[in-house]
Amino acid sequence: MVKVRIPTPLRTLTGGKSEVEAPASDIQALIESLNGQFPGLKDRVCDDKGEIRRFVNIYLNEEDIRFLKGKHTPVKDGDEVSIVPAIAGGCEQGA
Amino acid sequence: MIAHARELAPHECCGMLAGKDGRVTHHYKIKNVVATKEEGVKALFDEAKITTLEQMTSEERADIAFWMDTKDMFAAQKDMRANSVELLASYHSHPISPARPSPTDIKALALYPDICHIIISLQDPKAPAANAFRIANGTATPVPYHIL
Repeated sequence: MVKVRIPTPLRTLTGGKSEVEAPASDIQALIESLNGQFPGLKDRVCDDKGEIRRFVNIYLNEEDIRFLKGKHTPVKDGDEVSIVPAIAGGCEQGA
Repeated sequence: MIAHARELAPHECCGMLAGKDGRVTHHYKIKNVVATKEEGVKALFDEAKITTLEQMTSEERADIAFWMDTKDMFAAQKDMRANSVELLASYHSHPISPARPSPTDIKALALYPDICHIIISLQDPKAPAANAFRIANGTATPVPYHIL
């Protein structure tokens, strides 16, 4: 089983749990597995094409998966995955 | 937070506040990778974020004035877990505009509908202002706060 840290904004989907576990062989399968347990989670993490949203960062054992194999990054029992939505914003144009 | 805003001006500063039961006990300054990039300090710039920023359209990028460094966020969240506190608020500054969310803020911060978002305005340098909001479903609702 892979341990997954759930960020505050997604805990409404996990019944308030900050850590959950799911079986998976890679990140994509992990997201599907989590979505089976917590319906709606995939929509928050992935876009319509199934790609990980631009504002969402996923870490495998503290490594950004963008530097590994993205959604095809393999995972194994005992791994820790963190989902970290970006906090970003902008200035008021012309203000 | 006001000191942090002044330190980073004219760039936007950003950070996180954590605590328990709505009472803030921990303050984390988070690196604004947009400010770092504009200054050309590549060594301080998290490469993951360069990739992310470069994936955005130029229109989207032009409106982004702060983006929290994910490594800093990660470290802050680790510290929160170690201290059994939870994320209560994000904050960022508006160096020349009012203490209210911009359209980009409302779009981007909607990923965190359950926490407060504090905006520090330095529009009047002698009288900085700070307001807190909840941001969800395309709207920002002011939230009262008290300084203890």
